[in-house]
Amino acid sequence: MFDQYQLNGIFDEMFEASSTPRAHYESVFGQLAELSNSAFQRRRRMADLSFRNQGITFTVYNDDTGVERIFPFDLVPRIVPASEWQVIERGLEQRITALNMFCHDVYHEQRILREGIVPPELIYSAQMFRREMLHVNVPNDVYIHVCGTDLIRDKDGNYLVLEDNGRTPSGVSYVLENRAIMKRVFPALFASYRVRPVEDYPYNLLQCLKELAQFRVDDPTIVVLTPGIYNSAYYEHSFLARQMGVQLVEGKDLIVDNHFVYMRTTAGLRRVDVIYRRLDDDFLDPLCFRGDSILGVPGLMTVYRCGNVALANAVGTGVSDDKAVYPYVPAMIKFYLSQEPILNNVETYNCQDKSDLSYVLENLDKLVVKNTNGSGGYGMLMGHKSTKDERDDFAAKIKTDPRNFIAQPIVELSQHPSLVGDHFEGRRIDLRPYILYGQKPMVMQGGLTRVALEEGSLVVNSSQGGGSKDTWVVEDAR
Amino acid sequence: MTTQPDTDFNETELEPELEPTNKIAAIPRGSSRRIAARIVHSSLVQPAASRGRPMLSRVAESMYWMSRYVERAEHIARIVLVNSHMLIDLGELEQDMQEKQWLGVLRILRLDQRAEVQETIAAGKPLIGQHVSGFMTSESNRSLISALTKARENARSIRENISLEMWETLNTLYWSLLGDDVKQRFDESPEEVFHSVIMGSLLFQGVSDQTLPHSQSWQFIQLAKYLERADMICRIVDTNFDILQSSGDFCETPLRNIQWMGVLRSCCSIEAYQRKYIGDLDPLNLAAFLLLDAESPRNVRYSIRAAKEAIAGIAGSVHTTDTDACERILGRLAARLEYAEISELAGDRLKPFISKLQASISEASNAIENAYFLH
Repeated sequence: MFDQYQLNGIFDEMFEASSTPRAHYESVFGQLAELSNSAFQRRRRMADLSFRNQGITFTVYNDDTGVERIFPFDLVPRIVPASEWQVIERGLEQRITALNMFCHDVYHEQRILREGIVPPELIYSAQMFRREMLHVNVPNDVYIHVCGTDLIRDKDGNYLVLEDNGRTPSGVSYVLENRAIMKRVFPALFASYRVRPVEDYPYNLLQCLKELAQFRVDDPTIVVLTPGIYNSAYYEHSFLARQMGVQLVEGKDLIVDNHFVYMRTTAGLRRVDVIYRRLDDDFLDPLCFRGDSILGVPGLMTVYRCGNVALANAVGTGVSDDKAVYPYVPAMIKFYLSQEPILNNVETYNCQDKSDLSYVLENLDKLVVKNTNGSGGYGMLMGHKSTKDERDDFAAKIKTDPRNFIAQPIVELSQHPSLVGDHFEGRRIDLRPYILYGQKPMVMQGGLTRVALEEGSLVVNSSQGGGSKDTWVVEDAR
Repeated sequence: MTTQPDTDFNETELEPELEPTNKIAAIPRGSSRRIAARIVHSSLVQPAASRGRPMLSRVAESMYWMSRYVERAEHIARIVLVNSHMLIDLGELEQDMQEKQWLGVLRILRLDQRAEVQETIAAGKPLIGQHVSGFMTSESNRSLISALTKARENARSIRENISLEMWETLNTLYWSLLGDDVKQRFDESPEEVFHSVIMGSLLFQGVSDQTLPHSQSWQFIQLAKYLERADMICRIVDTNFDILQSSGDFCETPLRNIQWMGVLRSCCSIEAYQRKYIGDLDPLNLAAFLLLDAESPRNVRYSIRAAKEAIAGIAGSVHTTDTDACERILGRLAARLEYAEISELAGDRLKPFISKLQASISEASNAIENAYFLH
């Protein structure tokens, strides 16, 4: 099944050279190469059925009708050796620490703005900058408790940070489910590896949330707040609540009275101490943010500002994962921690900067242009695949609103073998590890590897037809 | 999102709140009724519950409707299945009688007032089984598929509160009826499809009993299941007795017996009945068996007693002031059924007896809603 495998001249995760697997892939390669197509297909069907019967689905919106889909699962695991992982882990810890210090600074003294490291106008013009949060103290001064940072590998195999997701990153449930399904359908593949477990994530998340409780610390009431069953990530919200053993609530289940939040139960109202909210700032409190939101809890922000409830993530973290702020993260790391960044950024042009802007407009066909608040692969331009009309259209948009666009050179993501029809072909992948921050940072020992299932495509988002792989961090061979 | 009771059916005056819903959230949660309920009374704010963790009202409501819809789907499948079989046996039956029989099925399922049914009748077209059973597998309101869809929707919104096994059972059943091959399966053997729903429902009940702690959540499931069952049996008995007693000597005894057996089969009671009253298909015994028997789990008296036990369990673990309303209603009803004379079911007295029963069941449903879902 590897007969027609092409290396395509980019970094390949499995192969050093044609038919020569890297040391940490040898055993998986050996087993897959011996497997017949029909045996592999049987396992694939088993996995698909398992996902569907367990209802592990996400919702895709098309013409306003939501369709429940299973997240395409690619059975070939991605393997990261522990030595490589150690660098990633340290880099991620460094990054989340700096981002948290940045959030605290921006909403308090604003040293980084006053010293000119980050231009103040960039912050004040950010859609996600929340004035309501100025001089509000949050537990332990931590803002981002759960972060999903997207990493990619360039053609030399260096890990680069593509973006940080410090608001409500999703996908972690798939990491756990993918692992469970792999164990079910392909137990033999694990045989010669020591794969680090990921199952402890919900437990760690719960510990992290418990640390946020200001009162009743011995037995705080913790809930997960979801926008509801029609949200595309509803499965995950329910999954995490179930795994942590806490209630999953919707906005209408909560009520604010006299500066406290309560949930409605069959036995009356019950006070809530910590909310792991999977709802954007905008929808959290109609009295404070979007007035037309029916998903939130009226009055919640007041309770929050009084310190009578803790939210994870804190309100206003969007200012740190704004794509126009992203180029300044290396500078933040130096400023707050006096360290060199361990993980580098992708080179980025900020359209707000005049010289960058003119470069971007002249080279649209060689760049990826992104809206600074877009996500899910929406609202971006892939220069090399665009038509002249699309480029003109984007140029006009950028000129009207340069603050909200950035551009990056097209990075050739690394590729990894994926099952295509009856054989394996290289497909582009990225990696999203998850970082928790209670008292100190903690990186999950694994992550979500997303795959662009279309040949040559560089877009891995699930909403754009991407799939995912189980991701193994393996102990190095002794 | 919880499936709410609907208001848009033109339906018997007896059960305004009992007959639930056609649309998901026909009454949006933000409606005036709900908002009014948001005013907080400090007396309601309770310290951490002494026994176990409290349950969200929304979760309780979804748990309740999930269970009712599963039970309902089972009844729909059984009624349609039994009738198609029976009409094969009654092959040479007059057109008139066949139609009466199907109209009865539609009445039980509260479908007889629907526009398409009325049109078919008005146009003088024959109302045939294929039509009815095809309709039950379509996705329109009150069909089998829609009952299962609503059961699953409710389950999906409370997944973290039910067991993984319950969810998988229900989800697998749901998808088995929505696969690409369903139409073909149905054409080949409607029985297989209906049978799979009946067995799926029974499996779900068994799985629930054996995987979910028998605390408040489970009690809500029991409560809903038995109320739905009691109501369905009332409808089946009421409608069929109407048809059979009004037809007089219209059909001969052998055919009549087949029809009485159909009634028992529709209530999943044929074997239990035959063991008790060997070879005797007396309508009065039959009514007594379906309404007043103490042992069969498929009759009204048993169901009401089980529902009463469930509500007592819930009320006991909750202790709010007005929760006993439902317990009182069901308690009175249980006593009424326990001490009823068989003669109260004879002849013309049966219909008012059942009407009162249904009214009480409906009253109980409303009391549950007010006490637990509308905080």
